[in-house]
Amino acid sequence: MQEMAHDLALMWPEIVLLLTAVASLVCEMLRRPRAGFVVVLAGLLLASVLSVPLLGHDSSVFDGTYRVNALSVWAKLVLLPATLLAALLARGELAASPREGTVYSLLCFSTFGALILAGSGDTMLLVLGLLLSGLAGFALVAWPRDARATEAAMKFLIYASVCGAVMIFGLSYWFGITGTTLLGALGGLQQAPYAAALGLVGVLVGLGYKASLVPFHFWAPDAYEGAPVSVAAYLSVVPKIGALFALAQVVTELPESSGWQGILALVAAVTMTVAYLAALVQENVVRLLAYSSVAQAGYFLLAVIALTASTLALPALVVFAAAYSAMNLGAFAIVTQAGTSREELRGLGRRRLWTGVAMSTFLFSLTGIPPLAGFAAKFLLFGASIEAGYLWLAVIGIINSVLSLAVYLRIIVPMYRPVGEAGGSTPTGGKFATIVWLVGFLATLLIGVLAQGILQQLQY
Amino acid sequence: MFPLVSLSLFMPLLGAAVILAMPRARAPMVHALGIGTATLTLAGTLWMWVRGVQADGFSQVEQIDWMPAIGASYRVGVDGISLPLVLLTAALFLLTLIYSVRVRERPHAYVVLMLLLETASLGVFLALDALLFYVFFEVSLVSMYFLIAGWGHEDRQRAALMFFLYTLLGSLPLLLAILAFYLGAEVSTFDMRAWIAQPPLSGSAAMWALAAMLFTFAVKTPVFPFHTWLPAAHVQAPAAGSVVLAGVMLKFGTYGLIRFALQMTPEAMRAAAWVVMVVGVLSALYGAFVALAQTDLKRLVAYTSVNHMGYIIVGVAAAALAADPALRTLALDGSVLQMVSHGLVTGALFFLVGSLQERANTREMERFGGLLQQVPRLGWFFILAAFASLGLPGLAHFPAEFQIFLATLGVAPAAAVVVLGIVVTAGLYLRAIGKVFLGPLPAQWERMPDLGTRELLVLTPLTLLIVALGVAPAWVLQVIHRTTSTLSF
Repeated sequence: MQEMAHDLALMWPEIVLLLTAVASLVCEMLRRPRAGFVVVLAGLLLASVLSVPLLGHDSSVFDGTYRVNALSVWAKLVLLPATLLAALLARGELAASPREGTVYSLLCFSTFGALILAGSGDTMLLVLGLLLSGLAGFALVAWPRDARATEAAMKFLIYASVCGAVMIFGLSYWFGITGTTLLGALGGLQQAPYAAALGLVGVLVGLGYKASLVPFHFWAPDAYEGAPVSVAAYLSVVPKIGALFALAQVVTELPESSGWQGILALVAAVTMTVAYLAALVQENVVRLLAYSSVAQAGYFLLAVIALTASTLALPALVVFAAAYSAMNLGAFAIVTQAGTSREELRGLGRRRLWTGVAMSTFLFSLTGIPPLAGFAAKFLLFGASIEAGYLWLAVIGIINSVLSLAVYLRIIVPMYRPVGEAGGSTPTGGKFATIVWLVGFLATLLIGVLAQGILQQLQY
Repeated sequence: MFPLVSLSLFMPLLGAAVILAMPRARAPMVHALGIGTATLTLAGTLWMWVRGVQADGFSQVEQIDWMPAIGASYRVGVDGISLPLVLLTAALFLLTLIYSVRVRERPHAYVVLMLLLETASLGVFLALDALLFYVFFEVSLVSMYFLIAGWGHEDRQRAALMFFLYTLLGSLPLLLAILAFYLGAEVSTFDMRAWIAQPPLSGSAAMWALAAMLFTFAVKTPVFPFHTWLPAAHVQAPAAGSVVLAGVMLKFGTYGLIRFALQMTPEAMRAAAWVVMVVGVLSALYGAFVALAQTDLKRLVAYTSVNHMGYIIVGVAAAALAADPALRTLALDGSVLQMVSHGLVTGALFFLVGSLQERANTREMERFGGLLQQVPRLGWFFILAAFASLGLPGLAHFPAEFQIFLATLGVAPAAAVVVLGIVVTAGLYLRAIGKVFLGPLPAQWERMPDLGTRELLVLTPLTLLIVALGVAPAWVLQVIHRTTSTLSF
């Protein structure tokens, strides 16, 4: 009983999040979307605050199945505020439309799934987290209920079902060898490298689809394009980071002999390159950002690969997660205001000085240009990668950074063109989106300079 | 201690913030603020000059912890190699801003970008922390990209894109090299002084790091065959942009070559110096010969930059090869002085070509002629700057190139073939002067106005400096010499 109380005390953020999700659903039933929105904001804020005292913990709860360690706590500290920003975006984009309140509730449920993923200490929790964040995700994508959104959600659903099934199949190998579902027991795979690798491939399919790694990324651009922009913003950040942190929880337990580093390095290299090449030909800004978010998942892998070999890797992963959330949500926030085609962005930077400056900042940060957040993160990533002996991967990452500049300039260049005959769009989306990109802008500027805080906490 | 270095470094940024805070200010007000800021910055760097440098290591160092967890700090300071370049940067930016008061198109953004670029450029020369150096190195790209894309000539979008992509590709290997130094050093730090005092890498690791850095600095300098971005960027950039690009930003490459390649991987650099020497000689000759083939005046000046920067590479390679400390010092003295002279001379030439283009809307030499009668001031300033550029004794390039050639002769006599470059540049400048300023005056230019007050304000100090540096280089050389004579590698 005492143990139970101890366990629950470490779970306060999750408990609050779950209660928030339920409460906002109740508000929606009472036809009070505004109240639901306020509840979600307050709940997410409270959950974020409650996560802070957990910093420095390195333990697990419920017999080792759920971990409270640096990865899972930082996941809360990044994903809960990110969900809050996504809720603000959704409010700006969808306010006063019917069923508005369900969005807030679904966001919370999906984040709950992402947090479970990020804290998994057990393969069954991986499955649970994947399903939970997935189910809420399909509903979010299908939310507009038009043909495009329905098609997008359908594609998402089928992808998710197949990939999830493959993952469970792969996990069965691990269970068969080790006799337990605990991740902590994966060291027992030492003698069975093939079974270890087969299981890993399964996990990579399941988590890889969620994190949209190539070649499991095909759903992402279609789903993002069909969904409301705020949902696309959310999907590109929260479930993705949850899945990548889950991958980190898994691979650090795997024996070297399974070759996980090599497999992940290959996936990382292919992901970055293919995604940026595909992004080069996109005309729709949401699709372009979707491919960009696929490529960035590849960069995340650089840190995951180095986790066991470099002390820089964990800080790199956390700083990149924070930086990526800030700059990606910020960029999407401006898209909700300005429009989704490159033509609509034309002249935006000339008409709205600060919107243009912020958008350029997000895109340069995504490229990794100093002194912005993305640079600080990528610098740590490359450092970790080299220290772990993956110089070639760092080189590929760097070459892709140049490619990514060409991609992001496809948005920046039209922003500073004179306004054409089309006249460009007048920014809409209101003050909520402005709040989001302002927060993202400040975070993008400051994370680069203040990364010390995170580094110190991780006791590097 | 009064934080003079940091204050000078961030003064332009402060000015930029003030301008951004006044979105309703009129264009003259914005330009006045820009010029005022640049003047204060120049005053700050002049004071740094008065404070001087000590013989050994870096002076006027200012330091604040930034990310102590990984050993990155905000560290700035100067030595005899960087101080002249800092002064050059501050002076050229002030002149550039004065020259640009005619810019009426989005003046806020223009001046803000210029000031941002000034802080970035000063930062490159002042940074003593490798991470900080890299930050400034890259920020300069962003501001230059927007300057070319926003205020350039006909084909500016393509040129700006090419400039940005090419130089970003160029600078990323430096990031790898910095990471290699960091991971190789015994104490985890990004302190460049520590890396210089005790080179962190050796053997093949040092050679790989050197190769990465050489690529970066070769693109930046630029050196044949990595120079292709330069003519495009120069031709399309606004006149002020060209001046900053050639006068200041090309120096990032050669400064980095000395600061990073020579000082942090001395053994590898000595081993690879022959390659660097050959590349430098080829580059100098190539630049001269290609310049000879140009009909566009701006392209011509741009290619002579490749030639002059080639001499600096030769000088640095000679310094790496020299066993005799006296020769090494001579080579480095010449190289650093050449950076300063090239900044002044090419700056003047690009200003003049800009003025000519403003008046004629063309840069084709064939379409000009006899302009010396019509616009004598422009003509004489150009002739003087051109003579300086071809290395006439008594003007800025002569003492620098003389020292480089002297050292090269002592180290690698065969490389002295590079002197041929001077003959070619002499030929091409005399031809250019003949085509543009001598002969009969075409009727269409009979109403061309001569240089106005604004241009005289810019060109007179620049020309005086060119003469001063040529006649009495000692006032700069003694600062350079104080550091170069004590370098131990």
